[in-house]
Amino acid sequence: MSGAAGASARPVAGARAAQLLAARLPQAVLRREEGYGEETVVIAREHLVVAAELLRDDADGLYTMPLFVTAVDWPDREPQAPRFDIVYQLRSLHFNDTCRLVVQVTEADATVPTLERVFAGMDWHERECYDLFGIVFTGHHDLLRILLPDDWEGHPLRKDYVSFGEPVAFTHNLQWALPAQERPRDMPGASR
Amino acid sequence: MAAVMPPQGGPGGADPFAPGRDRLGVRAENDAVELVELGDNTMELNMGPQHPSTHGVLRLVLELDGEVVRECRPDIGYLHTGFEKSFESHTYQQCIPLTDRMDYLAPPINNFGFSLAVEKLLGIEVPPRGQYIRVIMCELARIGSHLVWFGTHALDLGATTPFLYAWRERETILDINELVSGVRMMTSYIRVGGLMADVPEEFDAMVEQVIHTFPKFIDEYELLLTKNPIWVQRTRGLGVITPAAALAYGCSGPTLRGSGIAYDLRKAQPYSSYDHFDFDVPIGTRGDVYDRYLIRMQEMRESLRIIEQAFRNLPGGPVNTEDRKVALPPRNEINTSMESLIHHFKLVTEGFRTPRGEVYQAVESPRGELGFYLVSDGGNRPYRCKVRAPSFSNLSSLPHMCRGELIADVVAVIGSIDIVLGDVDR
Repeated sequence: MSGAAGASARPVAGARAAQLLAARLPQAVLRREEGYGEETVVIAREHLVVAAELLRDDADGLYTMPLFVTAVDWPDREPQAPRFDIVYQLRSLHFNDTCRLVVQVTEADATVPTLERVFAGMDWHERECYDLFGIVFTGHHDLLRILLPDDWEGHPLRKDYVSFGEPVAFTHNLQWALPAQERPRDMPGASR
Repeated sequence: MAAVMPPQGGPGGADPFAPGRDRLGVRAENDAVELVELGDNTMELNMGPQHPSTHGVLRLVLELDGEVVRECRPDIGYLHTGFEKSFESHTYQQCIPLTDRMDYLAPPINNFGFSLAVEKLLGIEVPPRGQYIRVIMCELARIGSHLVWFGTHALDLGATTPFLYAWRERETILDINELVSGVRMMTSYIRVGGLMADVPEEFDAMVEQVIHTFPKFIDEYELLLTKNPIWVQRTRGLGVITPAAALAYGCSGPTLRGSGIAYDLRKAQPYSSYDHFDFDVPIGTRGDVYDRYLIRMQEMRESLRIIEQAFRNLPGGPVNTEDRKVALPPRNEINTSMESLIHHFKLVTEGFRTPRGEVYQAVESPRGELGFYLVSDGGNRPYRCKVRAPSFSNLSSLPHMCRGELIADVVAVIGSIDIVLGDVDR
């Protein structure tokens, strides 16, 4: 049977990559996290390219297929922790495994070295991530917007990019739907 | 599960991917990163986004040296809809209709991938009957998608008849969609926790009809093209991609299997009972347009095999999970129990919450690995949902395949990748 039962019967996805990195490149591994049968390795930014090459070339990894790179925006995390998680997912056909690498960067320094020379397929994915999140992939040969028009302003997948027009004011959300001075005086949350 | 990579190279040790094939133009060992040096006498030609062979809204900027393509720069994004942003403001069940509209030729498979990802977060499993019906609907969608590809690909290369035949048969599949979900294309039939509803009685006869008639139809298509000298000449040795290059670009599905790598997620990481069914994964030997054609024709037959096995062994019982955290209370309970009524209201308006965490769940779509990377902050909507679209990665290998080919062959290469721009642009 597949689903939950099948997932638990399978080895933890990405554990192979995590062990390989921990053994061969321990200085790159900042943290390992496991959940839902998948393991994530948080990598130091300066070791990202070496780590990717190791995972691709080592006979114990052979993560030769790039699946995607994207970002996750946690604006409330700053300044205690970096705002962006840059997430790389790779697949090893040889060992039938996927692994996930995460590099954390701050809003002020949202840059990460490009992996397009490690995986040709990362080229477009990095452009997409730049387009939608504004993450700069240093060393990329052609870092232009790919999905949005060239003159688009902002990076829509950031959490502080508002995707819709004016919010509708209901009594329960007046706090944020209207500026304080425009709230009806007899409504809860109105400024007196 | 270890060795999914077959021995590389063709019969007799000859490398079928070696450059210097008997065609115009020279194929250097090319790389997307290094741009080709342009001569003085090249011409830039714009192709699309309204060009009929670009299937929607793909624009290509071609650098031509005479008729030979020196460089090809795809320009995408004309169909960008911002689904990933929209996901963040919809509850999980509300996201299902959005997924339909990404790869609009195989909507059930999109629903399926998203549902599986959410179910992984929730830790729930769909009952066997639900799993089998999901498989049947997805394989029907795969055949339907391949039929559209078959018709349009042949039409692009000048064969008109296959288009009409393919549309005729696809109608049957759309009729089944309509029967089970009320909608012909954007079905939203597969949902988190199971299905919209169990299949109606007439479903059996219609699937039976597909199982009986489609093998004959596929024979008919193959009679038109497979050994047709014009077709073979037009597609053999064209748009070659080596296994190593296909992997580096992240190609998947028939584009990867055409280069001889037998990787199919239904086999490699079976989900939803795919391991119960006996089917083969067809692979190519040369990685050209013709191989990718053969693979998709064979895949339709394999899908029919899966449909037949799932249909003959269709278990009874419920189609939806019993987990009341996700499943709506049954109608008769709503009529008699106030708690059920409230619960129903809450599930429909607020939806359910998922535990914190992140998962990656991939399914095999007609175009390759369709993955959903889902991040949950414990709320009732995805905090972030990245769609790993197979067409996006496959299309990024187009410049690699087109370099050194004739301009007229670009059309054949685009057709052989079988892109859906809704899937590329999202």
